[in-house]
Amino acid sequence: MNNMVFGKYIPVDSLMHRLDPRAKLIGLFLMIAAVFVPKSWWVFLFIAILITIALLCAKIGIKMIVQSFKPMIMMMIFLLVINTLTIRTGEVMFMIGTYAIYRDAIFNTLFVIVRLLLMISITTLLTATTNPLDLTLGIEWLLKPLEIIHFPTHEVAMMVSIALRFIPTIIEETIRIMNAQKSRGVDFENGRLSQKIAAILSLIVPLFSVAFERAYELADAMEARGYVPGAKRSRYHILKFRFTDYLFILICMAALAVSIASRFYL
Amino acid sequence: MSLIEIKNVDYSYNDTRKAVDGITFDIEKGSYVTIIGHNGSGKSTLAKLITGLLPVKNGSILIDGLEVNEQNISAIRKRLGIVFQNPDNQFIGSTVKDDIAFGLENKQVESADMEGIIGEYAEKVGLTEYLDYEPQNLSGGQKQRVAIAGILAMKPDIIIFDEATSMLDPKGKKEIKKLMYDLAGDDTITIISITHDIEEVLQSDDCIVLNKGKLFMHDKPQKVFADAEKLRKIDLDVPFVELVREVFAKNKIKLKAHDLEGMVAELCRYRSDH
Amino acid sequence: MPISFRSLSYIYNKDMPYAHKALDDINLDIKEGIITAIIGETGSGKSTLVEHLNALLLPDEGSLQILDYNIVAGQKQRFLKPLRKDVGLVFQFSEYQLFEETVIKDVAFGPLNFGYSIDEAKRRAAEALKLVNISEDLFEASPLELSGGQKRRVAIAGIIACDPKIIVLDEPTAGLDPHGAKEMIALFVSLNKEMNKTIIIVSHDNEMVYNYCEETVVLSHGKIKYHGPTFDLFCDRQKLAEYDLLEPQIVTFRNALIENGFKLSKQARTLDVIAKEIAEQVKR
Repeated sequence: MNNMVFGKYIPVDSLMHRLDPRAKLIGLFLMIAAVFVPKSWWVFLFIAILITIALLCAKIGIKMIVQSFKPMIMMMIFLLVINTLTIRTGEVMFMIGTYAIYRDAIFNTLFVIVRLLLMISITTLLTATTNPLDLTLGIEWLLKPLEIIHFPTHEVAMMVSIALRFIPTIIEETIRIMNAQKSRGVDFENGRLSQKIAAILSLIVPLFSVAFERAYELADAMEARGYVPGAKRSRYHILKFRFTDYLFILICMAALAVSIASRFYL
Repeated sequence: MSLIEIKNVDYSYNDTRKAVDGITFDIEKGSYVTIIGHNGSGKSTLAKLITGLLPVKNGSILIDGLEVNEQNISAIRKRLGIVFQNPDNQFIGSTVKDDIAFGLENKQVESADMEGIIGEYAEKVGLTEYLDYEPQNLSGGQKQRVAIAGILAMKPDIIIFDEATSMLDPKGKKEIKKLMYDLAGDDTITIISITHDIEEVLQSDDCIVLNKGKLFMHDKPQKVFADAEKLRKIDLDVPFVELVREVFAKNKIKLKAHDLEGMVAELCRYRSDH
Repeated sequence: MPISFRSLSYIYNKDMPYAHKALDDINLDIKEGIITAIIGETGSGKSTLVEHLNALLLPDEGSLQILDYNIVAGQKQRFLKPLRKDVGLVFQFSEYQLFEETVIKDVAFGPLNFGYSIDEAKRRAAEALKLVNISEDLFEASPLELSGGQKRRVAIAGIIACDPKIIVLDEPTAGLDPHGAKEMIALFVSLNKEMNKTIIIVSHDNEMVYNYCEETVVLSHGKIKYHGPTFDLFCDRQKLAEYDLLEPQIVTFRNALIENGFKLSKQARTLDVIAKEIAEQVKR
């Protein structure tokens, strides 16, 4: 579980890390749009260069981005197989036995794959350079307009940040309970269906009872420290747009403009 | 008038048995009071009643003349902090400084003032270098120190420790007890500590013994521990010194000293007398 | 020797930049039929060591012989179930492993997994529950409704019911009140004395270790610093200082007496014997 790269925060100090989370979120949306619009390989190359520059600024290394592609490999192969079976237009590129592989099949698939890879890179860039708590604050800010329809943005943000805080604790707990049940002869990998159900129950039931106990104690601790849901609170983290944040958004907007323009001129 | 006045307080979770049963006692300002009793004696329930985490249905609890009830709760919470047993289940922020900030945010302290306050109390508990640490990278003792810093930052008059050291390793226990003794030296802070640790009880000004929800004894710690038989009857530990006294009495040697050193000296005198 | 570690090492996050050697070249023989304590500060590798005894972790280097099972680094294991039946592992805060609707069902869960028939499993469960002092009227209760101390005893019964030859307990008294802790200690002493089980206890409680564990292993930074008679360890002030261990009160008392010219034999380990020997010297 420790090897998951996608969505993992890398705590170093860099230009990208110092950007305001809101700027990065806006940038994420702009860049994803920029990846979806174009039909030209040149624009992809342009965006890839931008991402590489951002990666260098973020000090997280190309290696990590490549690693974040790994979970997608199966999906890409699947896509390729389906497409070669279904897309039968364009010229024949080559034959596998008596089966013809068409040019469009290969190129369309590659196009989708590149799009996907660029999207993953952009998202990884955001999550790797933004501390989850800041990300929550950013999302809370983005959701602010929903307060008009009485959406409890602050409570939701508090919930999300507590959930994030407890993920490592719960993972630890899960491993411990699994080990305890393995010692009692539970086999989590093999066995008949009924045994598998018993195995899962022996993990889920204790996990829930511990989680509830934690929740109650945490609620008491929060209340004892003066937390009242819905009440006005001050903020320790105050998000502040700086010049670099505006510049960053501007660059992302420019990238989107280039990719839109490419639809007309390339 | 005492700082905390508890009068005839009852509480039951369900109708079967009273968890707290007709308890009455006072706690003076600036004192360090320990509450002991076996599990299920009502210690934690009493702590939750004092802090208003459970509603007082029968009897009354006054803090500085203010009754603990729903109307007064936010005023009372501002004066009172509680450190719970499980270090993990009271760590709310994602990092040490965020956790200390949590209470300040509730108190609506200005953001500009927070950094200074956080620094001050992190230093007080010796965590200045750990401000950016996440809970999973801290030891149990360190997490409890964060909890204490978070509470001190709210400048309370009263701090309740609800078995705050019981889940820690010896090193963590030592850290937290040292902090508690330091705080006890401050006359403006009243400390109530629920504990099983005899060594800690001996450091306190007063000891309250609960048994099956009832007040069993309320006295100086030395007096509470003097009667080993009485303690055993309610399933409590007997201090080592008392065990020594008992065993020697069985061998017809009467020891009067209050500590081991004194006892050894006494034995030396007996030897030279013969 | 029922348990022998041979040059065993274990590394967390192997091949990662933050790899960490939790066990470092461990050579250890644990004796049959006695209570052995494993002590050391948090993070010294105690829990990692214990998890090896149930093949929950497998060695990265070296090997481990447990009863008739031989675990060698890099080899696939085929005897997980019989090993786990013969070595019962009671985890820290074991009360959190309870999940069945009734106490008796939960205790019978292990025996059923290890292939006992339903009737046999129930019979063993009832026996184990009696042993840990859970009365029959609680057999059909939900384990989640019990008190903390009771829950932990039920969890331990769940291990005893599998009839292991070796029982390993990780911090069995943590979080219990003094009375509950005493009951727990009485339980594993009787498992050792009356049922002849080999017991291994991981603990921070030096008083308990001194009073009840014949041998002690001291771990520090993944290495074994001491393994031998508990009494010899705790009477050696130099060693206690070196391993940063608290001196049990009785040893402090014993040492003070000796420093003041009293004579105490090697047998004078308990208060009773110390008092007797001192009484003779005082009254003479």
